[in-house]
Amino acid sequence: METIYPEIPRGSLYMLILKTLSRLGAMHGYGIAQHIQQTSDDILQVEEGSLYPALQRMLIKGWIEGEWSVSENNRRARFYKLTPEGRKQLARELHGYKLVSGAIARVIEAL
Amino acid sequence: MKELWRRIEWLLHRPRFERELDEELRHHLTLKAEQQGSREAAQRQFGNIALIKEDARAMWTFNFWEQIAKDIRYGLRGMARNRFFSGMAVLSLSLGIGANTAIYSIMDAVMIRSLPVQHPDELTIVNWHAKPDPAVIHSSNGSDYDEPGGFITSPNFPWPAYERLRDHNSVFSSLFAYQGVGRLNLVIRDQASLGEVELVSGNFFSGLGIVPAAGRLISEDDNRATDPQVAVLSYRYWQDRFASDQSAVGKIIKINNVPFTIIGVSAPEFFGVSAGSAPVLFVPMANRPALARSFENEHATMFIDSHFYWVEMMGRLRPGVTIAQAEAELSGRFHQFALASAENEKERTNLPALWLEQGASGVDSLRRRYSKPLYVLMAMVVLILAIACANIANLLLSRATARRREMAVRLSLGASRARVLRQLLTESVLLSLPGALLGLGVAALGLRFLIWLLANGREDFVLRAQLDWRVLAFTLLVALATGLLFGLAPALEATRVDIAPGLKEVRISGPRSSFRRLGLSQMLVISQIALSVLLVLGAAVFVRTLSNLHSVALGFNQENLLVFSLDASKAGYKDSNLKLLYADLEARFRVLPGVRAATAVSMPMVSGWTSSTDIGVPGIPKPAVGRGPKTSYAQVGPTFFETMQIPIVLGRALGPRDADGAPLAAVVNQVFASKYFPNQDPVGKHFTLGSKPGSDMTIVGVSRTARYNSLKRDIPPVAYISYLQKHLKHPSGEMYYDLRTSGDPLAMAGVIRKVVHDAAPNVPVAEITTQARRIDNTISQERAFADLCTVFAGLALVIASVGLYGTMAYAVSRRTNEIGIRVALGAERRRIVWMVLREVFALSGAGLVIGLLCAWASASAIKAFLFGVKPADPTALVASAAVLAASTLLAGYGPAWRASRIDPMSALRHE
Repeated sequence: METIYPEIPRGSLYMLILKTLSRLGAMHGYGIAQHIQQTSDDILQVEEGSLYPALQRMLIKGWIEGEWSVSENNRRARFYKLTPEGRKQLARELHGYKLVSGAIARVIEAL
Repeated sequence: MKELWRRIEWLLHRPRFERELDEELRHHLTLKAEQQGSREAAQRQFGNIALIKEDARAMWTFNFWEQIAKDIRYGLRGMARNRFFSGMAVLSLSLGIGANTAIYSIMDAVMIRSLPVQHPDELTIVNWHAKPDPAVIHSSNGSDYDEPGGFITSPNFPWPAYERLRDHNSVFSSLFAYQGVGRLNLVIRDQASLGEVELVSGNFFSGLGIVPAAGRLISEDDNRATDPQVAVLSYRYWQDRFASDQSAVGKIIKINNVPFTIIGVSAPEFFGVSAGSAPVLFVPMANRPALARSFENEHATMFIDSHFYWVEMMGRLRPGVTIAQAEAELSGRFHQFALASAENEKERTNLPALWLEQGASGVDSLRRRYSKPLYVLMAMVVLILAIACANIANLLLSRATARRREMAVRLSLGASRARVLRQLLTESVLLSLPGALLGLGVAALGLRFLIWLLANGREDFVLRAQLDWRVLAFTLLVALATGLLFGLAPALEATRVDIAPGLKEVRISGPRSSFRRLGLSQMLVISQIALSVLLVLGAAVFVRTLSNLHSVALGFNQENLLVFSLDASKAGYKDSNLKLLYADLEARFRVLPGVRAATAVSMPMVSGWTSSTDIGVPGIPKPAVGRGPKTSYAQVGPTFFETMQIPIVLGRALGPRDADGAPLAAVVNQVFASKYFPNQDPVGKHFTLGSKPGSDMTIVGVSRTARYNSLKRDIPPVAYISYLQKHLKHPSGEMYYDLRTSGDPLAMAGVIRKVVHDAAPNVPVAEITTQARRIDNTISQERAFADLCTVFAGLALVIASVGLYGTMAYAVSRRTNEIGIRVALGAERRRIVWMVLREVFALSGAGLVIGLLCAWASASAIKAFLFGVKPADPTALVASAAVLAASTLLAGYGPAWRASRIDPMSALRHE
């Protein structure tokens, strides 16, 4: 039986990727997906179908940079790292997130 | 900006980016497989690699254009599969768009386009209307037109009325006057030519708001005195004759031998106040007596006579004043004027009443002549566009139905509806756009063809028509809308359906393919045929009209007859000198090699010209009211009857003995004889020319009735009189010559010019043409109509046949399976052909009936253009029906034959 995982909204996915990169430095796509999955106790499953388009989009926006190098197990992989612009974007996203989630929490609790 | 740069970089190094993405994805997959132990599972989870790549690529947005390019390629491939029908649909659309644009451009030039002056919408033309022959008008010089309800309308007014209205009104900021005086003899640096001259009031240019291109324009001062006499050149004439030389200002130009000083040049775009004429010279109104043809006694009084109606006027409304307000004020004033001028009770009845007309597009004789035919033509081309659009609709409709399954497949594979709709939109644009481009070419050619057709060999024909982009855009929009409606609507329907049934639907579906059910496409074909019937019938009726006109008996021989005119009075010849010159020329022409006979005549025969006069006939009293006996007449030379080959049935022809000094002689036609001398021998009888005691004429012979002014109108009583004799109507102006040649008449033109130049160097020869062509010119409208209608009907037939062919071919292909079974079960080929043809005939029969009903309903619209034919002419009806049957058979036989050739085995295997 397949478990149904909630889909991560695209906006949040950007934030999660940015946060991951800001915490752990340069990472490749698989690593990012794994990290998010493990840190969220397997609740947030990052689909490749959303991950790679999102990474491409962030490249265009200039939030991240990609660089090819050899990974820990000797494989060539593209490592992404945060740019100053990405750091600013992360701050913006976190601010917005806190505002919204706090507001949502208040609404839910009020009921 | 950096973002854009990154995108461009991506585009430039696209293969590398693609490679990197691919490698990255594979890396991901490998890691995942290692972790989960199975490559397949990983791959399954990974989902559609291609889709991920596509999505990733989509992030770089330029993608949109690539997809469009792909859509176009795909659409073109689809069209190529249906090459014939697509090609014809595009072609028919281009013809529809082109024809509409061309006709509308002509309409625009004739009726709609504004004069190139400041605020043309403020301009107002002043007219009057009344029952025919208002008694208060003693004489007039100009034109009038019939109006519905037995009224006539005219733009000509007496000069004192103009002055009164100009000086006493609160509605116009300016009221100016003008009169065209036709083509006059112009001499510049000893070179004679003919050119149109317009007389204008002093406020003409200032009222219109025209600025000079050189020198100055005519002002009020120029109209106060006629010395020195001044003239303004049109810009075109300045370019042509003076090569735009500034020093033209101050030069002398002789108009009818009177010297005028050129004071300036009008604005480049200004051509005058009428789209149908192009004066080369503007001259102050005060010069009219010296230039315009009128009777001696009018000269002295024309600016003070309240009963002589001649000048035309146009006003510029003050800001905020409406036409209705202006008309209310001016009509009152003019009524007072006319009432005050009336001398007795009879003149006080039926006074002309002033009315105003919007003048933004100028005064126009062309408009009066061509507006109704143009509406008819416009209606025709709109029908053609409709038929063409029906083809597009049919093509897209059949394709959309055939593609229901393709749509379902695309949707099931994850294409979004928007994506599919965009594809379909691209395809309908693909049909319309080439149609529009080709249509542009068709329009340009069509416009030139139309102008050529309307001009009909007249060298003085002026029409400023240019391609109208708005119409082109509009017709393109119509075509696009058709594409959207018929291509997109079924597709939209198709994309809305559940995917599953769409996938299950096999290509040959049961009830859908039945011929019996009247589908949208069948209805389209029926309406196409009905519209074609309308056009074909129209063409047949107009062609019949033309052939009726061609077969009208002339009463004289028009073969090898050269006609031309000259006017020595404009070069200073007068009275007996004039007659001597004309007689001398007649004698010179007669002895030219290649000329079998020659005659002078005061007016060309069957050219729309009429000279008529009251006559006194002994025994016929003049009635107390209305007009008494009258006759049309022509002043002819001594060899007229011999040259024209008009037989004399009684008495003798006019001859050399009817010279100056001899008793005044006349030959009358049979209509004259039987009308005024019924049951008598008219030879030797007398009548007087002119209503008051005039010249006493003796009838010396009766000629067989010959056409006088028109092919259409009844032949009036005609008296032929000698121009050499001194009677009331002796010629004072131009003279025409008819030369019967042994070879090609037009080959004589050079010789004629030389003969005239030798005899009178400053008299130009004009209007050299043949009698046959002159007669043809009088029926130019009918011929233009017949030609255009034939072209349009042919177009409509071809386009509708394509539609019929496409529909039938499609229907047959949908029924391949069924027909295969029929053949397998032993149906004869003949029966299969008949089965399809029956359908063809059902469609065309329905179209024929509907078309005939429409024709019957719209018959009254074209009645006015017909001669000797009723709109429901049986010959035309039968001919159109036959033409239609033949072309539908031609269009339908192909698919029918193909149906009968279907191989049962392959048909059954067919999916």
